[in-house]
This record gives sequence, C-alpha cells and structure tokens, in this order.
Amino acid sequence: MAEHQAHAAAHATEDHKPHGWRRWVYATNHKDIGTMYLVFACTMFFIGGGAAMLIRLELFKPGLQFFDPQFFNSLTTMHALIMIFGAIMPAWTGLANWMIPMQVGAPDMALPRLNNFSFWILPFAFTLLISSFFVPGGAPAGGWTMYPPLVLQTGSSFPMLIFSVHLMGASSILGAINVVVTIMNMRAPGMTLLRMPLFVWTWLITAYLLIAVMPVLAGAVTMLLTDHFFGTTFFTAAGGGDPVMFQHIFWFFGHPEVYILILPAFGIVSEIIPTFSRKPLFGYEAMVYAVASIAFLSFIVWAHHMFTVGMPLAAQLFFMLSTMLIAIPTGVKVFNWTATMWRGSLSFEPPMLFALAFLFLFTIGGFSGLMLAMVPADYQYQDTYFVVAHFHYVLVPGAIFGIIAGVYYWLPKWTGRMYDMKLATWHFWLSTIFVNVLFFPQHFLGLAGMPRRIPDYAVQFTDWNEVSSIGGFAFGLSQLLFPYIIIKCIRSGAPIGNRAWEGAHGLEWELPSPPPYHSWTTPPSDAVIARGAAH
Amino acid sequence: MEPPGAASLDEAGRRRRVRRSAILFALVAAAFYVGFIAMMLVRGSK
Repeated sequence: MAEHQAHAAAHATEDHKPHGWRRWVYATNHKDIGTMYLVFACTMFFIGGGAAMLIRLELFKPGLQFFDPQFFNSLTTMHALIMIFGAIMPAWTGLANWMIPMQVGAPDMALPRLNNFSFWILPFAFTLLISSFFVPGGAPAGGWTMYPPLVLQTGSSFPMLIFSVHLMGASSILGAINVVVTIMNMRAPGMTLLRMPLFVWTWLITAYLLIAVMPVLAGAVTMLLTDHFFGTTFFTAAGGGDPVMFQHIFWFFGHPEVYILILPAFGIVSEIIPTFSRKPLFGYEAMVYAVASIAFLSFIVWAHHMFTVGMPLAAQLFFMLSTMLIAIPTGVKVFNWTATMWRGSLSFEPPMLFALAFLFLFTIGGFSGLMLAMVPADYQYQDTYFVVAHFHYVLVPGAIFGIIAGVYYWLPKWTGRMYDMKLATWHFWLSTIFVNVLFFPQHFLGLAGMPRRIPDYAVQFTDWNEVSSIGGFAFGLSQLLFPYIIIKCIRSGAPIGNRAWEGAHGLEWELPSPPPYHSWTTPPSDAVIARGAAH
Repeated sequence: MEPPGAASLDEAGRRRRVRRSAILFALVAAAFYVGFIAMMLVRGSK
C-alpha cells in the first residue's frame, strides 16, 4: 500500500515528458507541437524571404540582371505560397497550440494525436513544393492564384503543386477542427464565451473560416488536376469550361483566407494594448462582434479581386459596397484599440511597439484596400505594384508584425526568461523603418503604371525600385535578429516570475513561467478565471 | 458532494462531445469540398 502511494506521489509530480527525438516525432503535447509549428514557420519565413530577396535583387535595375523570366515567375509564385501557407498560417497555428489551452484553462488540445498529424503533414508538403525547383520545367510559375489556362502549362511540377496544396489544406483543416473542438469542449468551468481572451475569440472565428474555405481551394485544385490529366474541361474554354469560374471559386476561398491570415493578429493586438496601457480593453463585446462581422463579410466580397474580368454593373456595385462595409467593423476595432490607450499608463516594451506599428501600418493597408474596392479606380490599379504595396502592408506589418508581437509578448512565459529588450527594440525600429522603405514606394510605382509579376521594367521606374530593393535587403537582414534574440533568451535570459508584464491579465499568467508540461491538470477556480478576464 | 465516479462520467461525456463535434466539422469540410465540385459538374452538364 505504502509502495503504491509512493508510486502515485511520484507520478503526481513528474511530467511524463518523453525525451530525445521521440518527444518531437510522437509529440502530442500542445506546447511541443506549438514549438514545432513556430520553428517550421520561422524556417519557411527565411526561405520565402530568401525568394523575396532574389526578386528585389532582380528588380534593383531595369533589364534582365540575373534570372530568366520563367525563373523569376517561379520565385514570385513560390514566395507567395511559402509565406502564406508555410510561414504565416503555421505561425498562427503554433501560437494557437501554445496559448489556447493555457488561456481557456484546459490541460491540452482536445485531439492531441490529430494535432501531431496535422503538424507532420507540413514538412512533407513543403519539401514536395520546394523540390519542384529541381524538376524539368522548374517550379510552378503561374502565380499563387493558379489561374487556368496559364497554370495548366506548368511542367512536371504541376502535380507536385496540386498535391502539396492539398496537403497544406488538409493540415489547416485538421488544425482548425482541433481549435474549434478545444474551445467549445475544453474550457474550464466558469470560462464562458464572453470571458474568453480576444486571441481565443479571433482564433475560434478563424478556425470556422478555415473549415469553410480550405475545402473550396482543395476542390478547385482537384478540378485543375482532372483538367490537366484526366481530360475534364471544368476550366478549359475549348471544352466548354469556364476559366473565369476558377477565379470565382479561388477568390471565394482567397478573400476569407486574407482574414484567416490577419484575424489572429487582431486578437494578439487586443491582448497587448491593454497590458501596456494598464487598462481593460475598451469595448470587449464590440470587438468580438466586429471580428465576427468581418468574418461574415469576408464571404460576400470575393469578386473585388476580379473586377476587370467584366461583370454586370449590379455585381460590381454589390461587391464594391460590400467590400467598403468591411471598413465599419475594422474601424470599430481601430477606434477601440485607440480608446484603450486613451489616458492609459503607457509603456513601450517591444510587444507594444510592434502592436502600435501594426495599428498604424495595417491601417495604411486598409486604406489602400478601400481605394482598390472602388470599381473605376480598380480598373487602373489592377495588376500594378499598387496592389503589391496594399497586400504587403496588410500581411507584413499586419500579420507578420502581429506574430512577432505575440512571440515577444509570450516568449517570457514560454521560456521563463526575459529576452534582451534592447536588441528587440532595435529589431522593432529596423523592421518598422525598412518595411516602409520597402513597400511605400511600391504605391508610387503602381500609380505610375508599373505592372506586377515582371522581371524587367521601363527605366522611369528605376529610382523607386532601387529604394524598394534597399529597403527589402535591410528589412530581410534585420529579421535575422529575431531568431538570435529568441535563442539568446532561451540560453541566458534573466529568470522571471509568473507575470512577465505587470499589466497582463489572463489565465496564462496564473501559471508558472515556464508553464508545466501539462498546463491546467486541475481546472482554475472561478475566482482565478474572473481575475484573468479583466475586461 | 459528487457521487463516486462522477468525474469519470463527466470525462467520458466530454470525450463523446469532442469526438462528435470533430466528426461534424470534418463532415462540413467534406461537404464544402464535394459540394463545389458537384456544383461545377451540374453547371457543366447544362
């Protein structure tokens, strides 16, 4: 009996953490899987960033400098696919894995083995995709949008592209199912929906979007596959198919995809600004409804990506006005973040700096989005560098800065150590200055008529392309600071207590730093939950 | 006071809910996948 009790006591304190390679290959722990997602995303960020550097190198001067046009088109296509599906989406899933169980008072994700499977699909998908550079005909070059008939001319890499997109989609859907099921079933008693942190809310809505639209992309690329290999003519005009229908289906996926990439950043900024303003979030419920409204509207605006294909006036008006409607809930969010800071006791640690840069620079991307929503203006801007500037303002100082802000916010919690604030502040200033040097001139280039997806350009575009390329190289190099700061923190950061930031609220800050291997083996009490839900 | 075994019953119920909702969402995803292809087939046959 005494022996049994001693055995039970030993089990109560140990964490059953597997060691060596088994810990990672067979991982079912949400923190381990979250770490793997984040490391994978970081690796893909630098590979995709390397492609971006090569693009900017080619565009530094007019004329063909280094690459043939086919390879240049492969670079733009692969840069987009790697950054969207390999860097940003896995980074959000990594943050979700790390934070959602801790924030809702659960011991782990609801489906740990599925979690392992959905992660391990990704390395295979991207090995397949990236290895397509080495097959005859080179990597896919038809753009990440994969429009037929162009994409059907892809060489041997076509089936590799289609299969890898299917794998990425499967991984995303499985990850999203896990998130929804965890949030709906694993919350601690007392953690009501309207007590959940905004990061959990935004991820819940993102997960619903993923479940709805990733299968649509999978369906579209399956039809491309059968058009290419099995003689169907879904999108082939010669056989009675309709290439424009592919664009409709693609953007029915593609526009919600934009919000899949950005909504979790809204959640993170909604956590960080109250912490460093030392005030509760202004208008918590309005923020939740705004995110839900944005998600709903994202399903009825897709054709604004394709005004120039020609569509009835009524359709143009509908898609123009529905797109402009998105500015209302987005405006609510920007207003509420600003109102949270109003008369707050502000301090400017790195997470807050990145959140503030997000607020200003994402808003610039939002404004250029409104310009693009106007049909007559869009006829001018379509396929110019203005569009490139717009979506990069949304995705780089929007999504990427959101991810960086989240990592700087929670890294002390994950590691139990504080990172080098001075270096992180340097990282912020270099990133913020050079992201603007990189992308702001692209507005001018686009307005002056420079088309996107070209390796060569007319000489009058030279100056701003040189400025943009210099910004690109500096921005890319400054990102090397990020992994260095993280590694330095893990190795030699100063130990910190449970609550890394004095203004932080939420269940994750009630756990020790670093948190135990299994987060909430005993659900938190209602008092602890109420203290965490300080909105 | 909780009856003996209440916690494990609760856990069993939660596992059932988790499994059911995961299957439901997987079916929703499959329906979107098949639905869009079916829509294109119907459109093509007109």
